[in-house]
Amino acid sequence: MKRFDAPVTSLRPIARDYFELRFAWKAEAGLPLPGAFLTVRAGGQYDPIVRRPFAFSCYAPDRGEAAFIFQKRGRGTAWLSGLRAGDSIDVLGPLGKGFSPPPPGSRPLLIGGGIGLGPMLYLAHQLAKEAARGSFEAPVLALGFRTEAQLPKLELPAGTVLCTDDGSAGFHGSVAEWLWSFDSSVPPALFACGPAPMMAAIDRYAAARNAPYQAATEQWMACGVGACAGCAIRLKDGSYKRVCADGPVFDGSLIAWED
Amino acid sequence: MDLSVRIGELLMPNPVGAASGVFGYGEEYEGLVDIDALGALYTKAVTPEARAGNAAPRLADTPAGMLNSIGLANPGLDAFIADKLPALRKRACAIVVNVAGKTEDDYLRVVEGIEAEEGVDGYEINVSCPNVAHGGMAFGVDCALIERLTRRLRDAADAGAKARARSGGPSARRPIIVKLSPNVSDITASAKAAEAGGADALSCINTLVGMVIDLKKKTPTLAMKTGGLSGPAIRPVGVAAVYRVSRAVALPVIGLGGIGCADDALQYLLAGASAVQLGTAIFARPEAPADTLAGIRAFMEAEGLERVAEIAGLLR
Repeated sequence: MKRFDAPVTSLRPIARDYFELRFAWKAEAGLPLPGAFLTVRAGGQYDPIVRRPFAFSCYAPDRGEAAFIFQKRGRGTAWLSGLRAGDSIDVLGPLGKGFSPPPPGSRPLLIGGGIGLGPMLYLAHQLAKEAARGSFEAPVLALGFRTEAQLPKLELPAGTVLCTDDGSAGFHGSVAEWLWSFDSSVPPALFACGPAPMMAAIDRYAAARNAPYQAATEQWMACGVGACAGCAIRLKDGSYKRVCADGPVFDGSLIAWED
Repeated sequence: MDLSVRIGELLMPNPVGAASGVFGYGEEYEGLVDIDALGALYTKAVTPEARAGNAAPRLADTPAGMLNSIGLANPGLDAFIADKLPALRKRACAIVVNVAGKTEDDYLRVVEGIEAEEGVDGYEINVSCPNVAHGGMAFGVDCALIERLTRRLRDAADAGAKARARSGGPSARRPIIVKLSPNVSDITASAKAAEAGGADALSCINTLVGMVIDLKKKTPTLAMKTGGLSGPAIRPVGVAAVYRVSRAVALPVIGLGGIGCADDALQYLLAGASAVQLGTAIFARPEAPADTLAGIRAFMEAEGLERVAEIAGLLR
């Protein structure tokens, strides 16, 4: 984990209000693994004062480049969306605990909703490579959107399932509905990142199928390193965990999604 | 040039500290901040029992600042001593334990428990906690209570110092630093109450109560509805409080609230602070404490000053 200034190598819109930002990654900082995240100072010296957290959406060691996908939602992300190649960003990372490998013999089902597509895309590429070497089946990536206009202009792995709530593209319905319709004779291993209702639906599915469920969570953060306890997330037993240091990837069956 | 700062019997190596709550117990920032180069590390609040903290969300973004309602999440006194103190003891900077509780006895238990331990240099008393015995109103808004609580804690720390001396251990009398709340009509009244109770120093200021409302959800953004406002937004409030408090009492004042660089710290030192703490700025720039100290040193050089305390004398 290091803090460093990184040149932006590209910033491109991939859907309405969605952007992919690529930047030079300093290898000494450590390996930015799927599920791990970085924080970025988004604006002037102290306004906004809180760094913005983003999950890695790719890492290309050969090009020395990492990326994250973000949605323009507030002043921090509005500032980020105005960057250009050659500008510099203040990066702190890699932070947090990423995904663990799926169990041998399982079929990884990767579910992304909204901005959760970034870490899922990265994990899909990674698991596809590892599956080729054998201990588990090839992963299936399913991404959910409200409507066709939100589909990202990105290179997606072959066989990616696209779902839209309004049926304007791909499967008509939520990714959770698609999940129930997916006939998997192989025991599934679930990986997901997205809005709480989607995460809760996957929790119900995983419980019904008795399948492991690794959930990448998000929360407002202040320090990003486990010091301030600001990014708490509630567990079903009533206790709290820090998204930044205890996660952001948790056993999804433990999280109180329906708060 | 002498950068050290004396707070009671405690000598801090320099005037720049990391504020309570922001910096955890130090270990979280290992590798990002040269912790040993700080003047003081003010720990996350310690309460007698472990506290899970408040419901989430606990944070909200605000103009030049943020709101938090963490709820003093901490592992409790015993776990602090067993798990956090061993690493803190090895630090070169002063270790000031921030103390919180729901009752006066809670505060007392923490101070008494830590008095039996070596490696702690002082206590910062968070009087912004809701007082259970007084219907949840903060300790810090009742001057009689501030005075009594301060006296009880001062007595406990005196007894602890004597006990350590008897057993041949380090006998330094650890300072009681009362952290004042700005959410009162007259902060100098709180300051005088702490002084009357025997406080060795004051920290000025804690966060200001604030609220952000989410227009989409039509609810307050924080689960607890209100939280503490920190960051550059509150700096002028803190500087004014330090200016007034340092003239109302004879105690050293440690200034905090929105400090992110040497220029900010110098405003506090000119206003009358003996030392400063950086809080929220560390979230944005972990290197801010080191930069601040370097800037103070450069200022002292340019002004031909030998000691930090001379800075306050420059204010016209």
